[in-house]
Amino acid sequence: MFELDNLSAAFGSATALRHAKLTIRSGDRLGIVGESGSGKTMLALCLMGMAPDGARLSGALRIDGQDMTHAEENSWQHLRARRVAMIFQEPMAALNPLVRVGDTVAEPIMVHEGLSRQAAKARVLALFEEVGIPDPAARMRQFPHELSGGQRQRVLIALALACNPALLIADEPTTALDANIALRITDLLVRLAGQRDMALVFITHDLAAVARATRDIVVMYGGDMVERGPTDQVLADPAHPYTRGLLAARPDPVAQTRAPGGKRPRLPTIPGTVPGLPDLPQGCRFSGRCPVEIARCASTRPGLTDLGQGRSACCHLLTEGTR
Amino acid sequence: MTAPLLDARNLTRRYKLPRNTLLGAAPVLTAVDDISFTIRAGETLGVVGESGSGKSTLARMVMAFERPDAGEILFQGEDLHSLSAAALRRQRRHFQMVYQDPFGSLDPRRTVGWSIAEPLRAIGVDADTPRRTAEALEQVGLHPRDGDKYPHEFSGGQRQRIAIARAIVTRPALLIADEAVSALDVSVQAQILNLLMDLQDDLGLGILFISHDLAVVASICDHLLVMQHGKALEAGPAARILRQPAHSYTQTLLKAAGVSI
Repeated sequence: MFELDNLSAAFGSATALRHAKLTIRSGDRLGIVGESGSGKTMLALCLMGMAPDGARLSGALRIDGQDMTHAEENSWQHLRARRVAMIFQEPMAALNPLVRVGDTVAEPIMVHEGLSRQAAKARVLALFEEVGIPDPAARMRQFPHELSGGQRQRVLIALALACNPALLIADEPTTALDANIALRITDLLVRLAGQRDMALVFITHDLAAVARATRDIVVMYGGDMVERGPTDQVLADPAHPYTRGLLAARPDPVAQTRAPGGKRPRLPTIPGTVPGLPDLPQGCRFSGRCPVEIARCASTRPGLTDLGQGRSACCHLLTEGTR
Repeated sequence: MTAPLLDARNLTRRYKLPRNTLLGAAPVLTAVDDISFTIRAGETLGVVGESGSGKSTLARMVMAFERPDAGEILFQGEDLHSLSAAALRRQRRHFQMVYQDPFGSLDPRRTVGWSIAEPLRAIGVDADTPRRTAEALEQVGLHPRDGDKYPHEFSGGQRQRIAIARAIVTRPALLIADEAVSALDVSVQAQILNLLMDLQDDLGLGILFISHDLAVVASICDHLLVMQHGKALEAGPAARILRQPAHSYTQTLLKAAGVSI
């Protein structure tokens, strides 16, 4: 139903998203993992029809078979809320401080489905119950500042679900929340996706949250999808050198234990920093930082190698069979 | 055994909240409630807790930005909060802080060299400034020439290196890092954590490392203090707490950090 076919997004000569291929079906729970500048947020914005002005799109984005790559804003408005909705990192910034949260959630229902205020409010009450907001009738009358961070994120989830979207995109939904609330919000998203047979795209840099929430994973670096496959398999046995570096760089308290009187072991690191968009290498985006680089990496973009069991990765070493 | 660098005893800090009624007494929030800990030279104490746990209030008291309502903070045997303003100012070079947001704490209109030298000027060291600024830049893995550039010319990880250079330029004995790696990507975070460990080995720094992320804290700390609602839930050697978290809250933090127990 959602299909990216070699979708690229470029600003002048700088490519923020390069040849993205992806199919999302109902019931999928997909994690998009990457660091700053990986293109994960650009991917989400393309799916929402919200690519920034000045971004030149090529390839195709199809929703239910319809090509939306260069669609006008008014055809997107028709799709947003009902086919695809998004929740963001900072719930306070996404809610109007002057509007009661019940009215905020009721608005898209009235606009998109033409329901009366009365009928819309009844739907909001049910939504608040569904996302686990206690005493929902009272909460509906409150303003955003009267709610805790976790409750605000639940309101935003209710807002995103208001018109029963087929795809929910969650962009770093738990980053601003405390640990135990983040766990509960993550579990809530998984439960809602299951109950509604809705697709969930979970965008994050938090590998622990991805492991908990998703069935499949796409790892992005420098605008490329470098590796994909079932989440547990990719995390247990990463195939791409960048995925390996990223997993190794996670602090592991057990491995870091200092021997008595000795030095503390250092964390494995990926050398260098992510280059800015205009400075990304033309070939493999990871060349220049990759520990196992070979001659053609910098100049030639590696294709996607099928590794079986639904796994694939973009690395010249995989085509050589010398993984 | 040598005396600890920092000895915090029974620290308590209360804040008055806004009154609920005109004539009623103002409710009081105990942000830090009877917390004690020590840090030795070359050792790291990790303080873990969520927003509202009191960990930043603790940092501000150690930095002597705030006075505790009860308890005392002995720095190299001297009670910080009983010092005169002038004596405190002389002491400040020995304990310095690194904040979460390096962009917010660097003046965008000044060169980073100017910002790094700021603590030196504040304590009245003028003569040696350029040489010590260059030395600090090299210690954090940057080039002395980078001092002539402006903050926007650096990546997030490099800006955090600049913030660390500014903290060590006075050659402190104690570094206080409040969520110093929380805003960074995982691979950059690993580089900065390694830098802190290198500096500790080279300079014998004591570090008070504050974070909400137990995996990060436990990776570089010798001792841990787990805080919730201003109270110490659990304290002890990091290795022991990881192996056998005594409190269910610590177990939740471990779960959230993806540490298998």
